[in-house]
Amino acid sequence: MTAPAPAPAPARPRRGTALGRATSRLFDSRWAGLAGLAIAVLAPFVIATPYALSVMTSAAIFVMLASGLNIVVGFCGLLDLGYVAFFAVGAYTSGVLSTRLGLPLVATVPAVIAVTVVAGIVIGAPTLRLRSDYLAIVTLGFGEIIRITANNLDVTGGPSGIYGIPGLTGSPVVFYYLVVVVVSVAVIGASRLGRSRLGRAWRFVREDEDAAEAMGVHTYRVKLAAYIAGAVWGGLAGVLFAAQLSAISPGSFTFLQSALVLMAVVLGGMGSTPGVVIGAIVISLLPEVLRDLADYRFFAFGVLLILVMLVRPQGLWPHRSREAGS
Amino acid sequence: MGRSRISVIAAMLAAASLLTAGCGQGLLDGGSNSGGDEGPITLGMLIPQSGSEAAIGPYMKNAAQLAVDEINGKGGVLGRKLELKVADDACDAQTAVAGANKLVTEGIKVSVGGYCSGATLPTLPVFGKANIPMIIPAANSQELVDQHLKHVFLINGTGTQQATAAMAWMTKQGATSVALVHDNTSYSKDIAVRTQKLLDEAGGPETAILEAVTPKESDYSANIHNILAKKPDFVYWTGYFQEGGLIIRQLRQAGYKGSVMVGDGAVSEKLAEIAGGDAAEGVYATMTQTPETLQGAEAWIAAYKKKFNADPGPYSNQAYDGVRLAAEAITKAGSTDGDKVIAALEAVDGFPMFSGPLKFTADHTLSTGGFQILVVKSGKFALQDALK
Repeated sequence: MTAPAPAPAPARPRRGTALGRATSRLFDSRWAGLAGLAIAVLAPFVIATPYALSVMTSAAIFVMLASGLNIVVGFCGLLDLGYVAFFAVGAYTSGVLSTRLGLPLVATVPAVIAVTVVAGIVIGAPTLRLRSDYLAIVTLGFGEIIRITANNLDVTGGPSGIYGIPGLTGSPVVFYYLVVVVVSVAVIGASRLGRSRLGRAWRFVREDEDAAEAMGVHTYRVKLAAYIAGAVWGGLAGVLFAAQLSAISPGSFTFLQSALVLMAVVLGGMGSTPGVVIGAIVISLLPEVLRDLADYRFFAFGVLLILVMLVRPQGLWPHRSREAGS
Repeated sequence: MGRSRISVIAAMLAAASLLTAGCGQGLLDGGSNSGGDEGPITLGMLIPQSGSEAAIGPYMKNAAQLAVDEINGKGGVLGRKLELKVADDACDAQTAVAGANKLVTEGIKVSVGGYCSGATLPTLPVFGKANIPMIIPAANSQELVDQHLKHVFLINGTGTQQATAAMAWMTKQGATSVALVHDNTSYSKDIAVRTQKLLDEAGGPETAILEAVTPKESDYSANIHNILAKKPDFVYWTGYFQEGGLIIRQLRQAGYKGSVMVGDGAVSEKLAEIAGGDAAEGVYATMTQTPETLQGAEAWIAAYKKKFNADPGPYSNQAYDGVRLAAEAITKAGSTDGDKVIAALEAVDGFPMFSGPLKFTADHTLSTGGFQILVVKSGKFALQDALK
């Protein structure tokens, strides 16, 4: 897993127009990531109302979720319709440990990582023999199993969930910056993983699993690694979610959530880190921007999503392969 | 590269400082907030306007607006007008937290919303941090009470009070063996489990079975089979009307002849429609006062109809009372300061509401639950027993 020096890629425009070249260069530029981070860091200096901070924090957490799912779906091509299960596992593990045992939330992080790795293996090991549609159906089932289990166990508080989870920091501003730091590390980490040797194996599996296996890629192990990485990302996002809301209940982990995260990945551009970040921000901010439409809010949301997919079916910021000859 | 980096950063800083100067809500502006001591006093209301419970939103919003307009017509509060700000909670925790923060940002003084317990729960610390008293008109799960937060007041009956009312009616009806059926949502399970605790006490009817169903299914015959195997003579459904109607129909189809009672979530004319025919005739319900069962509220219902050209619905009366109570507390406190309003709310004694004279218990719940027993007569819920 040696991280290769991310050499500034030679601009490889696919379209010949000058405009295409210019946008392509912009898309490939690493400054885009820095600019995004700068916007995130500077935003509270522009607007720091509790509402704005709450919305921005939620958006950042959603970015982390989407970048985790991007590892599974975007890099490795495994369609996961139950990704929110890992989010739930992380949120519940930290919630249960912090409220029942009185641990500070930070101290639950190692446990969350351990539990989500186990969850990733539990779902991954038996299901990764399946491909495409069949895998999607099993993951869909897994998402529902986790939610219904949480709904029925006493330790998870049953349908009313867990409340009174201690926050990570007192001030919402400090918490926002903490989330930005964690999410940035997570996004960069996911992106570097995607460019590592493992990441290349993931993409090989995505493009042609049989060919990958024939070329000596241990596809089973590689796919399991994608699952585990995605699970850990989701679980850690769950810890942030629990800290932000202070109360979690099964109602927050429905299939709709899984679908929204997947939508963020597809909308942004599968496998493209900046794309997924933008997709996640759009998906999480759009309903808030449309809040004033009240009854028509989700109708407008749906129409806008359809429009985007019609205009840019490849995603807002599609992935461009950095490998020569592709 | 070096020069472009510097210019990018410089441009960004310039843009940021411009925006900061223009907007005045950033970190460097000392957190000055709108809604000072001038202008109208704003009340905030979080209600579902989208999602599964969206139907309830207008009933609560209109009723609250009616109260605001009436109070303003009489000169407002402390010489200032009242203003209602509504935000959507979509019955979802995350949306509710964003909505609560939005209301806090808009400078509300008292929160008078809260319908779904699961969405209301995570908003408690948001309003708590801003020291905004909450008068919760509808949400009533025990978790809201159990945290003993000083800024939280519930003006709907709680699960415990509903269970007590159910127990009183079952005893009065001479039931011997009761099947409790819930749908595993927080609200429904809470009532069922609390009723079970009351049944398990010595004397009175006994619990036949505590059965959980999965919501939104189209066939409950497996559950019905489980229930009837225990031969109960009373079935109490604590969930919502969609499943309730189906369960009643299937119970009758399976030959069950005993009594059926439903909780307040199932009180809707849809219940009888879904049950079909006259299957729901004679079904009892535990319910707080609704506009239809209120005595002496004809003038209020007429005013509501005139203003909104629609009938008031469930929780309209509680939402109306919540706003009136908030106005009363601010008047008594002589200020919109959170601590003073909370003290005034705690001191309220005998404030007239639809549910009777108000006095809060130490838990900040109603001292009398105001639950009554309704019965279905030709497809509509009518008052059977006020349990006074």
